[in-house]
Order: sequence, then structure tokens, then C-alpha cells
Amino acid sequence: MNGMGSGKEGLKEAMKRLRKERKEMIAAAAAKVKAQNKAVRAIMEQLREGPRTVPEIADASGIPTDQVLWYLASLKKYGKVLEGEKDGSYFRYQAAGAEEEQAAG
Amino acid sequence: MSTETMKFDALILGGGIAGLQAALDLADQDFKVAIVEKDASIGGKMIRLSKVFPTLDCASCITTPKMAAAAHHENVKIFTYCDLESLEGTGGKLTASVRQKPRFVDEDKCIGCRQCEYNCPVMVSDPEQGGFSARKAIYIPFSNAIPQTALMDVENCTLCGKCSKVCPTEAVDYFQEPRIFTIEAKTAVMTTGFELTPLENKVQYGEGKIPNVITSLEMERLLAPHGPYNRVLRPSDGMEPDSVAFIQCAGSRDKSMGISYCSRVCCMYAIKQAMLLSGALPLADIAIYYMDIRAFGKGYEQFFQNAMAMGIAFIKGKVARIDAGEGGAVRLHYEAQGEDGGVRTADHDLVVLSLGMVPAWNPAGTCTVSTGDDAFIKTIRPKVAPTLTDMEGVFVAGAAAGPKDIVDTIVEAGAAAMEASKYLASLARTVKAAA
Repeated sequence: MNGMGSGKEGLKEAMKRLRKERKEMIAAAAAKVKAQNKAVRAIMEQLREGPRTVPEIADASGIPTDQVLWYLASLKKYGKVLEGEKDGSYFRYQAAGAEEEQAAG
Repeated sequence: MSTETMKFDALILGGGIAGLQAALDLADQDFKVAIVEKDASIGGKMIRLSKVFPTLDCASCITTPKMAAAAHHENVKIFTYCDLESLEGTGGKLTASVRQKPRFVDEDKCIGCRQCEYNCPVMVSDPEQGGFSARKAIYIPFSNAIPQTALMDVENCTLCGKCSKVCPTEAVDYFQEPRIFTIEAKTAVMTTGFELTPLENKVQYGEGKIPNVITSLEMERLLAPHGPYNRVLRPSDGMEPDSVAFIQCAGSRDKSMGISYCSRVCCMYAIKQAMLLSGALPLADIAIYYMDIRAFGKGYEQFFQNAMAMGIAFIKGKVARIDAGEGGAVRLHYEAQGEDGGVRTADHDLVVLSLGMVPAWNPAGTCTVSTGDDAFIKTIRPKVAPTLTDMEGVFVAGAAAGPKDIVDTIVEAGAAAMEASKYLASLARTVKAAA
């Protein structure tokens, strides 16, 4: 591991230097995470109320439909959201684990 | 920085299906082969496809065994995530300078468990899925990537340290540097492949800004088993499309884009995608707008006939312009050549541009291999020895030499491997005669 120095202190110093070097990239990425977390919270809030379609989530949250779909596809990939029944031309999505919660409740 | 030198018999530039086939054909003759690949995984375009024409084999099911065979072959060494800086030499002595980009993950330690990816808090639009879903800032390129080694995208990394904390093998290395090394080989095969014609070049087709107008490789992802939605949905709002259209020669046979040649695969892949769509969406109307259908390969014409029999509409007419329609629809303006010749409009929920092929790599500045007027690698005896370039001991195969389908690519890769093998044998004879 290059440039890392030795021991825990060396690593700490090296990380500090790297943070300084990448300051702008880190700030941009951090702002992105913040916006993403906000959108994910808004979408999950909708899904906690029951299965929803993309246009329904977009209407309620104010997030554009293409972005809602992007988040749902991504959350589905990482196991947070499940695809549910079809309603007309749209599928409903639900929070992963919501079914068991309902059954248990 | 390391400047180590490694010696091989043959150097293969590009680890797509052409490179893998050429590498395997040489390695099976006991030659030592190095594959240098620019991406983080081998497999090229083929591993990213859903199914292949005209057999409708699952692309990853038939590509993965070749990838694995090369990765496990004792005579093949694969270098991924590498740029070729220069290739020089002649007379059986080629020297390649290679720069391996940092993954920020130790390749020897990573076990591909994806704990880093699952725990990373940053979502990034995944180009491997047409940008339709996210990957993380640290990620495995795709589910059947080889090697199954993570890499970090530092532009989107907040240096939060989570990946390093959860990694069971301490593979994350925030300080990794590029690695520069030299490969010496006696012969080389260029299998650098293609990219799709850039969407941005065609104003009349919306320059990639009209919602629900996608590229053919994006449609491959929508149809693929590990696609972004695991089904075909309209990207603007998740609607299941009722009507899908394909626009042929969108970026081929088009002088306005500087691409006057036929890309040879678009008719067949559009027919294939249309067939797969009619399976995925049995109620949807599917139309292919075409100039003429070129179905020249073995079993291709029958494949086209089958598509017509399945009810896919083939509309003869070149689409002149695409606009955004009402409610996410896409409006096409076209001249109906097969009917009364009038100018018509049609609305579709989802439109696929059957884009053509342009070379993925330009050798200028890296080596002396020439390119032709079409920018693909020049073959000096195109009729009788189609894999010869103008650099001695350097051969070419697949879409690097010109638009080509998978069957022709594999055949040509075998031919290039045979030329390389003959060249290696002639070198050995020269050495023996001199001794």
C-alpha cells in the first residue's frame, strides 16, 4: 500500500492528506448522497403506506417520474424494494419486508 | 512506480469475444498469451447482450464459458482495466507499454463478496445498465464479470471508510497508484471491437434528449435477465410499453453522420429484439422502420421470415425526424415508401435507435497500424488474408477491422490466431536456421 506510512498514525495522516487532495470531489459526492437520502426517504415513506406505482409516488413526493423509477430500480437491486402487482400499465412497488410486517401485525 | 517486464508469445489487445477466441486458439497450441483489456471485466460487448441471433442463445450463457476458459487457462494471463500506451517493434520483437488503472482494491485479496458495494452509501448511475439503475461508488462491474473484483470510482467516493471497515480481507486500498509495465511479445492480435455510433451526432433524432428514445444496447439491457428493471419498462415513468418501434440505419448508411457504410448487424439484432419483446410483452405492437432488410448469414433470412410470421410489423420508410409526443410518447415522422409514399406520423411508447458500429479504438499515436477511410483498422489483403495489418506480426480480428456479427467475429478470430501461430512458427524456423 503506497504512501501509507507505517502503523495506525501513518494511515490517519495519509487519509487526512487524501481528504485534502480530493476535497472538491468529496464535497460533490457528499452533496449527492444527501440529496439521494432525501429522495429515498420520501419514496420509502410512500411505500410504507402501501404498494404504489411510479406516477403515484411522483405525484405525492414531487420527484419526477424518471427519477422515481431510477430509485425504485436501484432499491430493488439492493433488496429494499419489491415489485408487486400490476395495475393497468404500471407495476406497484412495495417496501421489502412489508408483507411479513403486515402478516405479523 | 514499477517497470517490470513480462514475456509472452502473443499479445491480444481487447478481451471481447474476438480476443478471447484468438487467445484460446493460441493458448491451446501451447503459446503463452497475454490479454490486455481496457474495462474492469473481460467479455466485451457480447457479455452485455441479452440473447444472440439467429439461435436465440442466452448471450451470457455462451460467453461466460469462454471467459472462464481464458481466465483459467494456464497459458493465458489477463490484464484488466489497462490502457495500451504504446506498441513498437518488428521482426518478432514487439514491446507494449501498458498502464493499469488503479482499482483501489487489491486484486489478490478481493474475494468478490460485494460487502463493500452493499455498504457503500453513494448511488451512481450505472453505465452497464444504460444508466437506468444505480451501482455504488465501490462495485463489482456486473454480476458475471471476470474477474469478480471490486473497483472504486473515486469521483463519487466520500472517503467515509465504510467499505474498508466491512471488507473481510482488507482488500480496499485508498492509496493504490497506476501500475506501468512492459509486455514483450513476438506477435499481436488487435481485437479492440466497436462502440455504437454516438446518439449526439444526429440532431433529427433528438441527440439523446427525447425521453423514451433509447439505444439498441440499452434495449439489450432491458431484455437481459440481469437488467435494470428485470422487465421491459419505459424509462421515463415505468409504464409497460404498448407499442415499441425500431428505427433502422440510425447511424449507418448516413453520410450526414459521416458513416456511409452498412453496420451489418442492426437488421438482425432489431429483429431479434423485436422477437424477444413479443415474448416479454405479448400484447404490444412492435414495428421496425427500415430501408431494406439485410439478412445474409446462415439461418438469417428464415429468422426474418419467422419475425414477420409472428406479427412484427415491418414498415418500409426512413424516419426523418423524432419528436417528444404527448404523455411520454415518441412521435416519428417518416415517408411511407411501402404504401402511397406519403409523409406520415406515428406515436410509440418506446423507440429504439438501431445504431451502427464505429471503431472503439484509434491506433494513431500508440502504434503504426493504419486505419482505412472508415476509421477501422486497415487490412492489407482484405480478400485473401483478411486479418493482416500493415505492421509485421500484428493481426486484426472482429469488429476492430470493420462491422461484423458474432459468428464472423469468432471465425475471423480463429483465422487471426492461425496467422499468428504461422508467424510464430516461421520465427522459430528462422532462429533454428541461424543457429
